[in-house]
Amino acid sequence: MLAEYATPLTFIALGAVFAYSFYAVLIAGQLSLGQAGFASVAAFSAATLAPSGDDVGDVPALLVAVVIGMAVGALAAVVLGLPTMHLRGVYLAIATLGFAEAVRVVLLNLEWTGGAQGLGVPRILTVGMAWTALAVVAYWFWRMGRSRYGRALEAIREDELAARSMGIDVGRHRLAAFVTAGAVAGLYGVLFAYYVRLIAPGDFDFSAAVEGLVTAVVGGSTMFLGPLLGSGFQTMVPEIQRAVGVEAGWIRPFLAGLLLLVVILFLPGGLASLIPRRTRMPSSVGGGEDGGTSHLAARRHPTPGETVVSLSGLGKEYGGVHAVRGVDLEIGSGEVVGLIGPNGAGKTTLVNMISGLVPPSSGSATVLGVPVGRTPVHRVAAAGVSRTFQHSKLFNRLSALENVLVGAHLVSRPTFLRRLLWLPSARRDERASLEHAARCLQRVGLGDLAGNRASSLSYGDQRRLEIARALASDPSLLILDEPAAGMNHVEAAGLSELIRSLARGGLTILFIEHNVGMVLETCTRVVVLDFGEVIASGTPEEIAANPAVIEAYLGTADEEPAAGSIAEGTLADPTGGGAHAMPPDTRTPDAVTNVDPGSAGTLPPPDTTPRSAT
Amino acid sequence: MRATLSTAAVATAAVFVLASCGSEGEGSGSAASGDLAGEGSGDSCSIEAAVPIGAVLSLTGAAASYGESQQRGLDLAAAELAEKGGVTYDLRIEDDQTDPRQAITLFDQFVSDDVSLIIGPTLSNAAVQADPVAQDAGVPVLGISNTAAGITDIGDYVFRDSLTEQAVIPQTIAKATEEFGLQNVVVMYSNDDAFTESGYEAFAAALEDEGVGVAETITFSKSDTDFRALLTQAQASNPDALVVSALIEAAVPLVTQAREMGIDVPIIGGNGFNNPRLMADAGEAAEGVVVGAAWNSASENPENTAFLEAFEAEYGTQPDQFAAQAYAGLLLVDQAVRTNCAADHDSIKEALGGLENVPTVLGEFSIDENRDAVHPAVVQVVQDGAFAVLE
Repeated sequence: MLAEYATPLTFIALGAVFAYSFYAVLIAGQLSLGQAGFASVAAFSAATLAPSGDDVGDVPALLVAVVIGMAVGALAAVVLGLPTMHLRGVYLAIATLGFAEAVRVVLLNLEWTGGAQGLGVPRILTVGMAWTALAVVAYWFWRMGRSRYGRALEAIREDELAARSMGIDVGRHRLAAFVTAGAVAGLYGVLFAYYVRLIAPGDFDFSAAVEGLVTAVVGGSTMFLGPLLGSGFQTMVPEIQRAVGVEAGWIRPFLAGLLLLVVILFLPGGLASLIPRRTRMPSSVGGGEDGGTSHLAARRHPTPGETVVSLSGLGKEYGGVHAVRGVDLEIGSGEVVGLIGPNGAGKTTLVNMISGLVPPSSGSATVLGVPVGRTPVHRVAAAGVSRTFQHSKLFNRLSALENVLVGAHLVSRPTFLRRLLWLPSARRDERASLEHAARCLQRVGLGDLAGNRASSLSYGDQRRLEIARALASDPSLLILDEPAAGMNHVEAAGLSELIRSLARGGLTILFIEHNVGMVLETCTRVVVLDFGEVIASGTPEEIAANPAVIEAYLGTADEEPAAGSIAEGTLADPTGGGAHAMPPDTRTPDAVTNVDPGSAGTLPPPDTTPRSAT
Repeated sequence: MRATLSTAAVATAAVFVLASCGSEGEGSGSAASGDLAGEGSGDSCSIEAAVPIGAVLSLTGAAASYGESQQRGLDLAAAELAEKGGVTYDLRIEDDQTDPRQAITLFDQFVSDDVSLIIGPTLSNAAVQADPVAQDAGVPVLGISNTAAGITDIGDYVFRDSLTEQAVIPQTIAKATEEFGLQNVVVMYSNDDAFTESGYEAFAAALEDEGVGVAETITFSKSDTDFRALLTQAQASNPDALVVSALIEAAVPLVTQAREMGIDVPIIGGNGFNNPRLMADAGEAAEGVVVGAAWNSASENPENTAFLEAFEAEYGTQPDQFAAQAYAGLLLVDQAVRTNCAADHDSIKEALGGLENVPTVLGEFSIDENRDAVHPAVVQVVQDGAFAVLE
């Protein structure tokens, strides 16, 4: 029975291993087509360098070849990854495709590879060995799924910038995913070579890469069983057609293509989306603060009154437009500072600079002892800065609880390697993170929605989820960018109460808000920004009475119509500050709104952010 | 809700398809049961059960044009054998999609279905990967288009009726040298294709044997279509002839552009040129191209005349070498089955190995001790839009 189906079963296993090499990077939102090149280099090196099965026995020979192949594949991925890891989307795909093509041409023209006629390899691989290798690879990705590392990769896929703000070192994680892909592709190359008996550079060409990618996507690139399902599907379609009796010829590839189309149309998440994804809620959420926190990494918070943010002469210029200029500001620990001002006043640019997303063009800023602008975003986050975004930047395809778990990246411990070994300590750490995340969710009132996809939440709930995610990192400075936008007044009052209770716990909070009433009632200090400059700063009472603030918001009597329109962003600004005339979401050409690796079908520009920021 | 419904529908459909596959799979496998030994011998041989023959051809994918020709050749031969009677054949032609992995799978399936013999696969690289499956199981294989060296070294169950490049090309070079007095040539070949590269190796060896000097060796890719720069380079050596190993897709533009540029020395092509498309697509430019071939389409032996006529009547076009070799292949299998009047693996293997001087469309045909084909090759030249024997 098994022997009769040994060949298709072996090819399912081989196809799945190759698809896993695509899954390894797709899960981190990277589109790479270089895996065929890795597999090719690995297969040829291993077949040439590994000892013959006659000398050392078949299985040891294959094992040595696998080790050589995976090492070569991983090494090739490092060599290719270092210069290309800052590329995104289609640009990375093209660069890696170029690499694979270069490998093919080089191998074609080398003596020892046998050129186009290929290299003979003994058949050692059996169906059992192929499935053993597949099981190991699948196990690896299964255990990765619910580890801190696996969640970080998913977060990068969903929203790279938000992931950075949660303290994830995106560059390192992306390279790690890429090297994993290289090693798995190398494994595939070796297994393939030791099964089909003859490898030629043409076996690892563009169409092979596309087939691997299609297999991974059809199976589903967000769930570890996806590549296996995809490979089963891709391998069985011709078998089934043969068995059903569809006559050989053009109709078969046509039907196979049609079936592929149907799967992609009706199951955009791949075949794996048929498998329900469950979210575990910790059973004992209310079970005391200390029980869980001992398994979380401790963070040092500044003592009350210590300076948290120190800005001097901070300015940002976009092509001659001064979005922010000459801002001097000190925020002490425990303060709740409200940042208000008309649309286009530079509030978001200012907090983007403070959180390290945008480097200042002039002046200097120190946040929690870190000089921002020269420090990567994830380091600023590691220093204790956590933030929400003006436009929600949630990890849309993850559940609410998982979003918050990613937020807890900095306070949870790495668990992937220990999960591979089933160490009980990994389980305890994971449970501690889960409980911590669940507490954060309950704190913002989303405890019941923990299992829901972030994208399925209402707008107000999404704003709250962002706050829960920001809180999960146990920050020293919390930056909220228009947290109450889209909330009704009851919700806004609840939010105000939450902010005050956080402040009572010693947290320093800086928040932008258009709801002036809420700001006045929540903050200990209010800073007013207009045309990029601080026009007033003081207690809520002082600000409410400040004539300059009233003018900025309402305009003087004779200027009223124009000023009111500026605030709504509908009219050209009479003062010539071009940026003020644009809607707030488009006027700052920074990376904040541009980078969205999770969005398919768009063509993002090549990333030009400096390497130091990755 | 709608999305959920359609998801459920697709899932259900998938389950049904998978289920039906399962039951189909169990049903097959008994095709070869029955008695495969018969009574009588030669033309009087009669075997009760149909002799199962599997054929693995590339009907879709890159090599589809070859596979389709082969399918026509096999179908024509099968129809003639059915008319003849005595032994009936259950010929099952399967498509490997020009994918060696499919070829391996199909060989495996034919082996487990216990066919008497497997014909194919179309391409040599697939043969290297798939033939060992049959060899290990003791099922004879007859290659009908594999020209690469070493295919029959896979084992004693592997035969072929296709002449290797190493058999045809030396004759081509010898004949051309004699005819044109070659002293100095330029060799061009695509180095990213197994077939054209092994053709090049055969050319290089043959040229050395004949003592013809190679002024330059120029490589290109099988996907190239503009050869003007390379031809200018070749022209500079002022060669007596261009020797080209390329597939037909590259051969047509290469020949056309060479003639456009005023290169009117003979062009000597490998087996890739051996295709009616050369004359159809290159037109005038193809005149004077010399091609070695395993099959003489102009041969006037009675088998060939009958084959040309039957093929033309059935399909309305002239056959090419692939069709001729496929047609000859199935008739040779029939010959082998009738020799011992038995269609079990070892009888066929033994009879195939003993084939000697069988009249076929390819000429007098024998199998040598290496299980390779032995029959006259022919050197052709394009004259008035058709292949003619170079004399």
